[in-house]
Amino acid sequence: MERQEIIDGLVEILKTVRTIDQAKLQHVTEETDFIADLNTPSTEMINIAAKAEQKFDVEFEDDDIDDLGSKVKDIVDLIISTKERG
Amino acid sequence: MAIAGRRVAIVGMGGAFPNCKDLEQFKQKLFAGESLIREWDEALSHGKNIRSTVSGYITAAEMDLEPIYSTLAAGYPETYIDHLGRIPDGNLSTADMGSIWSMIGSQEAIKMAGWTKQETESEETGVVIGSGGAGHVILRTAWHNFFELKRKTRIAGSHTVDRAMVYRDAANVSCLIKNKGVCEAIGSACATGLGNIGYAYRLIKFGIQDRVVAGGVEGTSLETFIGFDAMQVLSKGFAPAESSRPFDTSRNGFVCSFGCGIVALEEYEMAKARGAKILAVIDNYHNNSDGAGNMFFPSFSGQKRLWKGLISDLQIKPEVVKVHGTSTPVGDAIELLSVVDIMGESGYHISAPKSQFGHMLGAAGAVELITAILMLEKQQVLPCLNSDVLNPDQESFQKSADWDGPEKPLEAYRDLISQQLVAQEINQIVCLNYGFGGTNSAMSISKHQ
Repeated sequence: MERQEIIDGLVEILKTVRTIDQAKLQHVTEETDFIADLNTPSTEMINIAAKAEQKFDVEFEDDDIDDLGSKVKDIVDLIISTKERG
Repeated sequence: MAIAGRRVAIVGMGGAFPNCKDLEQFKQKLFAGESLIREWDEALSHGKNIRSTVSGYITAAEMDLEPIYSTLAAGYPETYIDHLGRIPDGNLSTADMGSIWSMIGSQEAIKMAGWTKQETESEETGVVIGSGGAGHVILRTAWHNFFELKRKTRIAGSHTVDRAMVYRDAANVSCLIKNKGVCEAIGSACATGLGNIGYAYRLIKFGIQDRVVAGGVEGTSLETFIGFDAMQVLSKGFAPAESSRPFDTSRNGFVCSFGCGIVALEEYEMAKARGAKILAVIDNYHNNSDGAGNMFFPSFSGQKRLWKGLISDLQIKPEVVKVHGTSTPVGDAIELLSVVDIMGESGYHISAPKSQFGHMLGAAGAVELITAILMLEKQQVLPCLNSDVLNPDQESFQKSADWDGPEKPLEAYRDLISQQLVAQEINQIVCLNYGFGGTNSAMSISKHQ
């Protein structure tokens, strides 16, 4: 799965999070920070992670979620590494 | 303790009311003598597994709200959209249905009160709002996914605590209005609504706060409904509008309803000084416990002591007594006789507004206080629907050797309970509510002179 394809999928998830300013989703890149750039409430991060598990058909380890950074590339990396682990 | 000379005014109100789009329509329907009770499709959908199918319920759509269902857990309302734009999305994300109604009702009450942003956000402004129920779709879905479906805790998302905690309604209102004073919830079963307002009254009377947004709420919840249904205490076998029948001989239970009542309280002299419209003045609030060791059965002596505490050394001679009057066989009889024992056999009216909208549980005392304020405003006593026939014979407990209350059967007090609207001068109303656990609460309010 290409990284851009994952980013597009993440944006689709973010569009369902009503506490995120939808206008800010126009230019999401790997360097976009969920909290600093999108003002995502920290409480929503676990919801985004759970929806990413569903969308990309993966199951994250709890420790990996605990250690997850707040940038888009962090969750892209986690999705890819989790898929590789099988 | 109470500070001498410090009084409490009611300066605003709002909420959510069954089968009504707003407070104004609630007022219109009440004084037109209408019933707000309907057959409930959610209850009906469970067929023979549920006994009672009538309720004064409120749907999300009726409040211009739309649930957004989770893609992770079937039937889980992840959040709501407010189609009228009253509540910001961030506040909606931490709220269950009852909390949203509380926020809407608080906005309305504060607007009516005319408090400035600075006053609302002050350290002298508190929020005291509670709910009777402890279960709804949020917890049910979260628990079902974890315990039954063996799924991860994160499937229900990160908001099951803030949307289900005991003081969720107060917390959500406080986060919305940004007050810096007290934020708490009082829980006392079906006395919750009046209990929260009574506590708020004391906060002002004791000099702890100058303003408080206070009330009770019971969000529409089949989870709450079925608990009472299992107890066989809900009305059954009547057409919806005839289901709630306080004092009538054929009453067989209460109508489980839902709603929200919020009032804005303010220290009287401050309200008067800024030219606020004072809806009513609170004369006193008193609450106590039966001390009888019985979770459910009402206590005649407990209610008499309640009155004694309320009256204290004050001038309390109401033209109207707004009773709890749930339409349960024992509760109504004990209550009517305790009122007669204190107030005498004539010279006042008994109002039982649950006859029109059922029993809103944790919201009951608050919404019924609002109906009392409306009665003061309209100078009309609401009708007690369906109180067709009062028992011509003594109640069984009246025949016991240790009964020390009125000896006459309920029928003897027919004239106190009108089935029609009564127009008359009303200067003072006493409001009564009771709850499981033997808790009793009473508040006296007066027309602003």
